[in-house]
Amino acid sequence: MNLDLLKDILIATVPLLVIFPSLFAFTTWVERKALARIQNRRGPNRVGIPCTRISLFGLGQPAADGIKMIFKEDIVPRGADRFFHLLAPILALIPAMMVLCFLPLEFPFWNAQIKAMRAFALDSAIVFFFAVTGLGTLAVFMAGWASRNKYSLLGGMRAIAQMISYEIPLVLSAVIIVMLVGSLNAADIVREQRFIWFVFTPWGFTAFVIFFICALAETNRSPFDLPEAESEIVAGYFTEYSGFKFALFFLGEYIAIFAISGLAVTLFLGGGNGPGAGLHPWVPIAWFLAKVCILIALMIWLRGTLPRLRVDQLMSFAWKFLLPLSLLNILITGAALHLLAAVHLHGGGQLDALTDRKVDFNQIIEAGNPWVIGGLWVGSLLILYVAARGLDNLTRSKVRPREYKYAE
Amino acid sequence: MNILGGGIFSGMAVTLKNFVRSYFDKSRLTTNDYSWQPDGELPKSIGEYPREEGEQLSETTTITNYSRNFPMLLHDDGEPMDTVRCVACQICERECPPQCIYIEKSTEKKERDGGKPQFYPAKFDIDVSVCMSCQICVEVCPFDAIVMNSQFELSSPDRFGGLLLRREDLLKSNDYYHKIHPEEAEARDKRIADEKAAKEAKKKAAAEAAKKKAEAKARDEGEKKGGAE
Repeated sequence: MNLDLLKDILIATVPLLVIFPSLFAFTTWVERKALARIQNRRGPNRVGIPCTRISLFGLGQPAADGIKMIFKEDIVPRGADRFFHLLAPILALIPAMMVLCFLPLEFPFWNAQIKAMRAFALDSAIVFFFAVTGLGTLAVFMAGWASRNKYSLLGGMRAIAQMISYEIPLVLSAVIIVMLVGSLNAADIVREQRFIWFVFTPWGFTAFVIFFICALAETNRSPFDLPEAESEIVAGYFTEYSGFKFALFFLGEYIAIFAISGLAVTLFLGGGNGPGAGLHPWVPIAWFLAKVCILIALMIWLRGTLPRLRVDQLMSFAWKFLLPLSLLNILITGAALHLLAAVHLHGGGQLDALTDRKVDFNQIIEAGNPWVIGGLWVGSLLILYVAARGLDNLTRSKVRPREYKYAE
Repeated sequence: MNILGGGIFSGMAVTLKNFVRSYFDKSRLTTNDYSWQPDGELPKSIGEYPREEGEQLSETTTITNYSRNFPMLLHDDGEPMDTVRCVACQICERECPPQCIYIEKSTEKKERDGGKPQFYPAKFDIDVSVCMSCQICVEVCPFDAIVMNSQFELSSPDRFGGLLLRREDLLKSNDYYHKIHPEEAEARDKRIADEKAAKEAKKKAAAEAAKKKAEAKARDEGEKKGGAE
């Protein structure tokens, strides 16, 4: 075996396998603490260093949970399909781990000459990302079906309906960025955001909001946690899972959250770009992880705030609000790009420069007339906001306040 | 016209306020306090569950005055089985929604301290792994024999037998009840005493009425006799 190849593989994969699972452990602790504080409780505060009385704000909790999970009895229901019951948690974890490879994280270990430190630098990374995350849905339904339990099956069916519905606006909002950049390569998308992150453009902002909402739904986070709604269907598709299989599901779910947050950071929040990004190769990685952590914190905050949606509300929100809005966003982005091209042409550029990607988006913004570009900015935002309001009015259920005949 | 999605932001402001203020305002963290009384002042240090192994909550430690967990059987002062209030009428067994109570009635009646002979529960088991703490047994008991305990440290390594409370585990004295739920116990004792007094008054009144009636009858008969003579 070629030793250099082995070394490259290890350099590319080991950081992913170390950083994200440890981030997972930390996140579970942060989440429990934050939710507890939101509800005026203390959260985990007992487990610290073993055999001492040092509790370190309960930081030992994830390790204790992990040890507990490993030693717990693995119960498989008598009627369950044993093979698929075992396969489902593995299949839930593997796609989530795989998509981490598509994130534009380049770890600069001992040799700056090794350029492509990313595990899997692919020109069509965005397409692959969505293709591979789609597999996670299969694992969820497999778990629901193989458990032979009505709650599991209901949870699995809810998950399928939800994930398929929200996949469409999710992908359509990523299309905006592909239109702006003209590339599916994650590294290209990050490079394009040197001066202006796409979340600060009107189209990128709308797309980011849609993307974030859909990401919550894709990863079954509250308020879209219907597949595992505790008060309705016990624990949804992992009702019949215990011990390490449950831990695998849990891990897979959180890794998927990190992956989709990483994609959101790549597409909208400038990836590793930020002040001082050029100073040291480690700075972009720190920026990237910091941005991911901010998105995770936002998700935890939303989980502590919003109640769970009803199934029909969930569906109508996806199909009647998010989908038309993201389609309209694509239309407006296309129109705006053409306008920018016209402005560029007026400034002495070539018409096909933009469409053929000889000039990048930033250069056009810089070269263009600031008034025209400002008008474009405000106009696009206005149209999108009015459209969103209109859609909101259309989809809002027409229910009058209830009139009581006899009661006060 | 309010901004689209504004409700979410105002909700997030509320949760943020809770999050931040729980670090500064200790009185918000009421759930961790095991010794707080509703009318008392907040203790200087917030009470927490004991950390060290030897240090355990005493039997009478309650979470709060009004906590309730699983039922217990009351007996008055004296030997538990001599003064147990339960007469094994089995109403609670029938009313229990999850059916976690099992009673076997004694075959013969037994003398009580200061009362007539009554049946007693030969067996009285509550499966606390099934009990849902609904307190219906307490509501339906005509003898004030079953009330809620607030003992919560019931974990056991035995999955089946360890959570089945026998009659001996369930029997608690009225004094213990006064210790854990003072207000409730006082009210209950007062009601029992009032009822007893009312019953006795009624009995007395009935006896007097009967006496009067008998006297009147005797007088009537006397008069009749007199009339006949």
